[in-house]
Amino acid sequence: MKRSKINLMIISILAVAMFVTACSGGNGNQQGSGVNNEDAVRVIVAGPMTGDNSEYGIGFANAADLMAEKWNAEATIEGKTVVVEKYDDKNSPEEAVTVANRIVSDGNIPVVIGHFASGVSMAAAPIYQDNQIIEISPSASHPDYSGIGDYIFRNNTVIHAEASASVDIAVNDLGKSNIGIISIMTDWGVSTSGIVKEIVENDFPGANIVAHEEVIEGSDDYRPAISKLNDAGADVVITVGMYNLVAPVARQYKEINPDIEIVGFSNAYSQQLLELGGEYVEGVAFPVIFFSQSDDPKVVEFVETYKNKYGNEPSALTAQAYDSVGIFLTAVQNVGYGDTAALRDEIANLEYDGVTGFTKFDENGDVDKSFTKVVVRDGQFGLLK
Amino acid sequence: MGIQQIFNGVTIGMSYALIAVGYSLVFGILRLVNFSHGSVYAFGATITLYLISFNFGIMPAIIAGIILTGLLNILIDKAAMEPLRKQGAASITSLITTIGISNILTNLLIVRFGSQRRQFPSLFPDKTMNLLGVDIQYTQIGMLLISLVLMVILVLVVNKTKIGLAMRASEQNMKAAKLMGINVNFVVSFTFLLGGISAAIAGVLVSSYYGMAYPNMGYVSGLKAFAAAVLGGIGSLPGSIIGGVLVGISESAAATYLGSEFRDSVAFIILIVVLIIRPNGLLGKKEIEKV
Repeated sequence: MKRSKINLMIISILAVAMFVTACSGGNGNQQGSGVNNEDAVRVIVAGPMTGDNSEYGIGFANAADLMAEKWNAEATIEGKTVVVEKYDDKNSPEEAVTVANRIVSDGNIPVVIGHFASGVSMAAAPIYQDNQIIEISPSASHPDYSGIGDYIFRNNTVIHAEASASVDIAVNDLGKSNIGIISIMTDWGVSTSGIVKEIVENDFPGANIVAHEEVIEGSDDYRPAISKLNDAGADVVITVGMYNLVAPVARQYKEINPDIEIVGFSNAYSQQLLELGGEYVEGVAFPVIFFSQSDDPKVVEFVETYKNKYGNEPSALTAQAYDSVGIFLTAVQNVGYGDTAALRDEIANLEYDGVTGFTKFDENGDVDKSFTKVVVRDGQFGLLK
Repeated sequence: MGIQQIFNGVTIGMSYALIAVGYSLVFGILRLVNFSHGSVYAFGATITLYLISFNFGIMPAIIAGIILTGLLNILIDKAAMEPLRKQGAASITSLITTIGISNILTNLLIVRFGSQRRQFPSLFPDKTMNLLGVDIQYTQIGMLLISLVLMVILVLVVNKTKIGLAMRASEQNMKAAKLMGINVNFVVSFTFLLGGISAAIAGVLVSSYYGMAYPNMGYVSGLKAFAAAVLGGIGSLPGSIIGGVLVGISESAAATYLGSEFRDSVAFIILIVVLIIRPNGLLGKKEIEKV
């Protein structure tokens, strides 16, 4: 009898713990919904707040919070407060569709800042387009994303420009010609690795692709793929993936070939890359739109405030989210909050000078920006010389 | 190079074998597939990484982590499995409970430590040596040796000690063992302890091999180890080793010759084929229906 009581207690403790878990998840979903909707400009951030890529989604949310604070402190839009609401899509297309449907059914939301991965953004985008909701993704770079409709924007360059910059680092800056590609099997990874191949063939006659390996994102053991790349004689590897691909590949590759050079993409630009990769990511280089050690006063101010509030440096995608929110709020200031069609036209025509440089959407809803080349040196990000 | 890939496969296969042992031990005695085992493995790696961060030495941290994981497994048994056994609950109830525990454990780890991958220190020097044209890393040799030693110890414990005798007796007939004066609850707890310890050792070795640990690492590894246990004959310790190594090699071969995208499915393809041809696994005993 006594025994079973103790058991019951333990089980109830576990149950309570589970409940707390569920609650904390729930709170994260919709913050700030306590404010009366009539008096608020609602900034909707949709991205992975939990799960493997939560680093990025939380970055989006932090950026939105920071921008909202700035606007609330400086100027008010028609006497309204800016509130941020967060939706968690766990970086899964299925969840993103659920989130999109919830946002649509709300009926009062004109703009969504999100989602994170291209494949996830592209799953949600048709729903936004059909319901005339503006989607601004700070990160989607898949070529087909902005073609989904005229309400779909991105504050990120299309992958062609970035892939060119990556290949340029590999061939011209590092002086290598035998390129190996290791890419993740997602919408973005498959299309990007294809584009990298095309660019090498068309624009870099001195270089050639010796091998291309596709891997499942998050499978941790990349040694079979690495052995094949190494046997093919690659002297530089372009890793098409996020930090959770670049760091283990760098480590596992350098175990069998310490001289290998590794080139990534801007989405590897994250503090996590240094923490996870340690000494192995030394020398990893990639192009970025936003570099936190820039001496542009706007960037300095943003990085300082961000660091003071969250304790770490903002990544490129966080900065792009920051500007995306800025674009939205500026547009609201100019044409008001009520008319989504007017808001869309305003966003499409706006010229915005932010921390990621000058932003002006073209007719597809894409942007064009210049790249900075960054390398990991002495455990920190520095400019590639 | 073929031999290289086989060696890579054997290394990772040994770690599956260590996890598979946990399934086999518990299944042998309780006739229960303990699906919480994968998250116990992740717990072992994550908690060890956490203890390492206190800087009281890597070895003491690993040992503490292994002991904690063993105790956690006992707690799981006492808190959830034993009450069900006492009520004589249907085995499907226990099975579902283990899945529930797995989710609780993984999510508690995520709440406490976050879901991101974190760097796990190397336990062996990052060097390779060349043996007959095969590049072998010290980590791989270390993993192989530790797994082999552990397997031998486990086999000895089960076959040569008094508690092992009690385990085998409980395995054959729990009621009769109880009547003979064996404290069956203690035997079960001891089995869970062994399972937890081997899972934690596997967790530490694999994390050091990949250089990272995270709360979700147990999900796929747990399922593959389960496939390995069934392949070798669930309930048989040598079977777990053979099953683990076979799954490891076939994964490595699939990744090399078919492409990395086939890697994760090959373990389960083998599982299904084996279940059709030899339902009891390679070394499994024929089931004797007990009355």
